[in-house]
Amino acid sequence: MYSELLHALPEVIGFSNFAAVIIGVIAGIVVGAMPGLSATMAISVLVPFTFGLEPLVALGLMAGIYNGAMYGGAIPAVLLRIPGTPAAVATTFDGYPMAQKGEGGFALQVAVVSSAIGGIASAFALMLLAPPLSKVTLLFGPSEVFWVAVFGLASIIFLLGGNPVKGLISACFGVFVSVIGADPIYGTDRFTFGQLEMLDGISIVILLVGLYALPPVIDLLETPLKTDGVESSKLGTEPIWKAMPRMKGFWKTWLRSSVIGIWIGILPGAGGSMAAFMSYNEARRSSKHPERWGEGEPEGVAASETANNADTASALIPALTLGIPGTAVAAVMLGGLLVHGLQPGPMLFRENPDVVFGFMWQFLFGAILLILLGGSLATNSFARLLNLPRPLLGSVIIVLMLIGVYSIHGRMFDVYLMLGFGAVGWVMDKLKFPLPPVVLGLILGGFAEENLRLALRIGRGDWSVLFQNTTSLILVALTVAVVVGPIVKRRMIDRRKHAES
Amino acid sequence: MLKHIKSATLAGAMALVAGAAFAQDYPSKPIEVIVGYSAGGGTDVMARTAAPFIEKYLGDGASLVVKNMPGASGQIGVTEAANADADGYTLGTFNLPGMMARTIDREAAYDRDSFTYLANVVNDPNVIVTTKGGGLDSIDKLVEEAKANPGAVTVGMSSLGGDDHFMLIKLQELTGAEFTIVPFKGSAPARTALMGGHVAMGILNISEVAEFQEELNVLGVATEERSDFAPDLPTFQEQGYDLINGSMRGFIAPAGLPEDVQAKLLDAFAQLETDEEFLAAMKATANPVEVVTGDEFKTLTSDLYDLAKGVWEATPWN
Repeated sequence: MYSELLHALPEVIGFSNFAAVIIGVIAGIVVGAMPGLSATMAISVLVPFTFGLEPLVALGLMAGIYNGAMYGGAIPAVLLRIPGTPAAVATTFDGYPMAQKGEGGFALQVAVVSSAIGGIASAFALMLLAPPLSKVTLLFGPSEVFWVAVFGLASIIFLLGGNPVKGLISACFGVFVSVIGADPIYGTDRFTFGQLEMLDGISIVILLVGLYALPPVIDLLETPLKTDGVESSKLGTEPIWKAMPRMKGFWKTWLRSSVIGIWIGILPGAGGSMAAFMSYNEARRSSKHPERWGEGEPEGVAASETANNADTASALIPALTLGIPGTAVAAVMLGGLLVHGLQPGPMLFRENPDVVFGFMWQFLFGAILLILLGGSLATNSFARLLNLPRPLLGSVIIVLMLIGVYSIHGRMFDVYLMLGFGAVGWVMDKLKFPLPPVVLGLILGGFAEENLRLALRIGRGDWSVLFQNTTSLILVALTVAVVVGPIVKRRMIDRRKHAES
Repeated sequence: MLKHIKSATLAGAMALVAGAAFAQDYPSKPIEVIVGYSAGGGTDVMARTAAPFIEKYLGDGASLVVKNMPGASGQIGVTEAANADADGYTLGTFNLPGMMARTIDREAAYDRDSFTYLANVVNDPNVIVTTKGGGLDSIDKLVEEAKANPGAVTVGMSSLGGDDHFMLIKLQELTGAEFTIVPFKGSAPARTALMGGHVAMGILNISEVAEFQEELNVLGVATEERSDFAPDLPTFQEQGYDLINGSMRGFIAPAGLPEDVQAKLLDAFAQLETDEEFLAAMKATANPVEVVTGDEFKTLTSDLYDLAKGVWEATPWN
């Protein structure tokens, strides 16, 4: 099972495939360092362009960007208290106070080492878990896949946070978009308004580019950002190998945060920011001196940065084996696979082992390269990126988006569709509707519908077919736990409060 | 006045010369081939594999440019080709029975008379497969089971109104057995479901199962003669079932091509059949070749249309 993993290795260290990872990591750090630009955005702008590339070059770029961006977000988080990506919010808690104390350089070094460790752990998790899982998923028939999709939809509850109503509206919008196009069984038109271009449904790449790339770019052009005060004097210039001994006490945090990040990545719905918050809280709870947290505790930076990189590769475990992405970024990467005619699922591991296993190696190398590229040569120069003129950057990205979306199918219709979704995304952004539920609703809603109907056809209309085997029942139990769990927990906390007062 | 007549005559003469020159010079500019699917799909591979050979047979530095217009199961591309100028500079790919079925199950901006039929190139015959360990390891057993328990045998296939579907209808009409159709989105997921044992039987194409003979029972091939593709697999006729069906891909042009242009194109396409290099290239890309040109291709299309129409009237699939 794992021999194919080794077989794919020579392929990956070929010049163009390896160069792709290096370029990806650098580009990722740059993108992550720009406040407002996220990994999801960068990869969705990139996906249409990878069409003409070899699959491994394309995937290497994506793996590199993902890893790089998750660290890059720490740079402005530490230096300016502006998280470069949503996943870096928890990094600001202790990173910025460290910079204030003149330890910004050390904070970034902690961030880069922790990011790399999280990324490496995640890549190993992907390598170990995905191949055996891909064998098992052959046993997942329509009724099991239906329940996986329902479980995923239920997990959106984790994303709802402060405002469940808005989150649910977002998810419903996504599910609605999944309904557009030909009926999966009979081929009848649904909401296509006679447009043949809509018959295949809304391409996830088009939706993602519109939703994730356009609003932040508009934002970029709207608000001028003050970036003065980023000087290398603030950073401290100690080389990274000298800083390493100061981090040796972090291993527990690294371990714990890696596990949290990997687990959150596998769960559909949640993503980097959730992983970072959870691991920050857990690390603080088990710290000997929690009072120092928030005042510039390096371990806080380590906790947040380890976890937000540890969810990268693990989010691909359900994506590659079942076609169900764990995070929005994984969803875009699925789009990237589909652009190359690579259909996720058990067959992917059999028909394109070099691509799928090569992709896993690229995640590992991307994480390792992070230390070399992010740590040694570039922390200082990347910090200066923040001084790039934002209007220039914004307009370049818009041009790239338009060309990219046009090039997928070579038609203007897709470009208009993308701009339409961009407008919707911008309004949602302003009204603080969360965007990830839309993407997950689109993917999982379509999955749930199609597989429910296939399962019922196989069962010849008998609903009991959905509960006929253990796998289905386990998935049902998990779904119930995800939905009911938080409600019960809240009740119990309320009751305890009552009892105390 | 005289001047007018003179110029009119001159114009007429020039037009004549131009007309003659037109056919002789054809092709004098690049010929566009509209493919209704994404680059890399079966139809696209066929078009790109055939293009250099057609260029060779048209001669005079002819060049074919493949243009992908994917969407709506090829309907966007074929509509574009049907409505293009009939000058021989726009050709298109054509899939059967899909392109004809779409004129029946939805509104289409073309019909069977909208085309000049050049050549059908690929015929990927249907096969019937069953899951290993399901006990239905011969076509006789399968038919017997389906007759004994009508509807109990579930059949995985790609979408309704395609070649797989018509194959099943032929089987049902021939034997009187009854099956339950489970239409997946394409044949790859249908095959995966078969390998996982979630459906009992599947209808696929030979190119899709050639490498899966260890994991699936292939009960027979719906051709007259054994396929070069998997010569060890018996046909249905050998087993006493008169079943012939498949998925076909070829080339069309808009209706009403100038006669000599049409003749030149037909001649070029006809030569594909005997070109060893072309046949080898097609075999390497898992495309079973069966070249049918001109009027025969047109008759083939018409017959399939009549079959689909008949099925639709008896049991509409949406």
